[in-house]
Amino acid sequence: MARPHGIVVNLVAIAIAAIGMAPFALLILLAFSKSPTSLEGFTLDNFAFLITGKLFTEARYSSIYPDIYVVTLNTLILALSVSGIVVLLSSMAGYVLSRYSVPGRGFMLGLILALHGIPVIILLIGLYFLLRSMGMINSLLGVTMAKAVLDLPLGVWVMKGFYDGVPWDIEIASIVDGAGRLRTWLRIMMPLIRPGIAALAVLEFISGWGEFLLIYTLIFSNTSWTLSMVIRGLIGEMGSVNLNLIAALSLYYFIPVLLFFIFTQKYLLRVSLGGVRG
Amino acid sequence: MRLSRVFFLLGFLGVPTAVVILFILVPAILTLIISFTGLDHRFRWEYVGLENYRKILIDPNIWIFVVNTAIFVVGTLVFNVGVGLFLALLSTHVAEPIGYLVRAVYLLPRVTPSVVFAFIMLWIFSPLDSGVLNSFLRNLGIEPIPWTTGYPWIFLFIVNGLVGCSLGMLIFTSAIKSIPQDYIVAARVDGASTLTIILRIVIPMIRGHIMFVTAYQTLSLITSFEYILLTLDGGPGYYTTEVWALAAFHRAFAQYALSSQYGYAAAMTAFLVASAAILTALYWRAFRIREMISQPKIEL
Repeated sequence: MARPHGIVVNLVAIAIAAIGMAPFALLILLAFSKSPTSLEGFTLDNFAFLITGKLFTEARYSSIYPDIYVVTLNTLILALSVSGIVVLLSSMAGYVLSRYSVPGRGFMLGLILALHGIPVIILLIGLYFLLRSMGMINSLLGVTMAKAVLDLPLGVWVMKGFYDGVPWDIEIASIVDGAGRLRTWLRIMMPLIRPGIAALAVLEFISGWGEFLLIYTLIFSNTSWTLSMVIRGLIGEMGSVNLNLIAALSLYYFIPVLLFFIFTQKYLLRVSLGGVRG
Repeated sequence: MRLSRVFFLLGFLGVPTAVVILFILVPAILTLIISFTGLDHRFRWEYVGLENYRKILIDPNIWIFVVNTAIFVVGTLVFNVGVGLFLALLSTHVAEPIGYLVRAVYLLPRVTPSVVFAFIMLWIFSPLDSGVLNSFLRNLGIEPIPWTTGYPWIFLFIVNGLVGCSLGMLIFTSAIKSIPQDYIVAARVDGASTLTIILRIVIPMIRGHIMFVTAYQTLSLITSFEYILLTLDGGPGYYTTEVWALAAFHRAFAQYALSSQYGYAAAMTAFLVASAAILTALYWRAFRIREMISQPKIEL
């Protein structure tokens, strides 16, 4: 169906794409704007926090908002851990579910789909008390585990799909040659599905990097904040005063996602579809 | 079964299963248990039976939440499926690079951190003069419009719809691309216009996909509240956009810990998820999701 249907339709499509891009273009312009509330001129001053680590020079604000580099480090640790945990556990479970006819396999696959659709709201209150009793409330570790496990069903489903795409012959050859299952998985299968692993790793990095709700609910002290909490705090406190500063911080927060998106969108399209279609 | 195989399976399946039990099943069950208690900020566990559920039924605000949830789900769903279908049709009827660009651009809101997207949309639709749309109107000499305060639902449909429409867009695109060209060519030879082909061939052929996306997004929208929390937070005014899930969230995680009613909130959540589960069971039957789970070809 990729037949071009005349210039008008193509122009309409370009206009629609431009409309979709507009919010992000506006964000970029605002981040470099001289005026705090409107688009005016060009300045790098809004990014001064990159040098000092402090969003505000006034002492009363800088005590509320932690050092931006600490916050960035928290965000990065969360995103990398979520990505690592999900990739590791899903490539293990996905392999077994793709290659073994273990008892209850059909039930497990159904359960994975059900868990993928489980609403966060039913978990939040229980998670709050679970983490509280485990001493993991108000800690990044608790949020990391909760976030990773919430994303795990999707990861397993996606990885199973990638394993399903590898022909059996390669694996049989390796096993006949005397390599055990563990060795075959590590040395033969994992390298073969490297694109799948990369795609899931990126998707999960983005997911962990952008997480808000779990941190908002389970973290109280600002030393464990991530960038989403800082921006949320700024919007609440000075949402209509310091727009250009919020935009600059938002852009700083958004850039890794944007870079990943530009370079891996082909894979991302595949993974985000795999999550719901099997 | 050989011992090494048992260890292999236990490790590979056991560890993921254990963390899923600990961080998904246990919290879900805990929430359910808490719904039968009067748990609040004092953290005293006292069994109150169905008291919370009784209080929900007689809560004078409950119908506000029900109606708001219905408005939110239906409005966002129409936007999601409608715009998703439009984008899929548009991007498959133009030159491939342009179609690809359209799809990539409309996938962006989904990967953007939710606080960032909420911030941009709040700024664009701000009722103040500093809002993007209003400063544009002011330059044209037109009176500013109170976008978010005057039309909160339309605003929420747009915010949630832009995040959600990419799912439909991607699924419909791959469905449209897999329609055999013969049908299209035959129709064109018979003199059918593109519009006729879309209405009579393309849409009927992807009907199953449209139903799937509708079902899937109905279920996720019923319990969705993150972007409402981040933008209007149930306002403006008295519970104007407070959907059921957001009301439950507010009861549990209020601004002031002293007003947290975990038991009541858990009961509200259980109520909501029970209705979603009933809907899921109906959809499961209707869409035969079981067929998507195939057995492995051979067993080694």
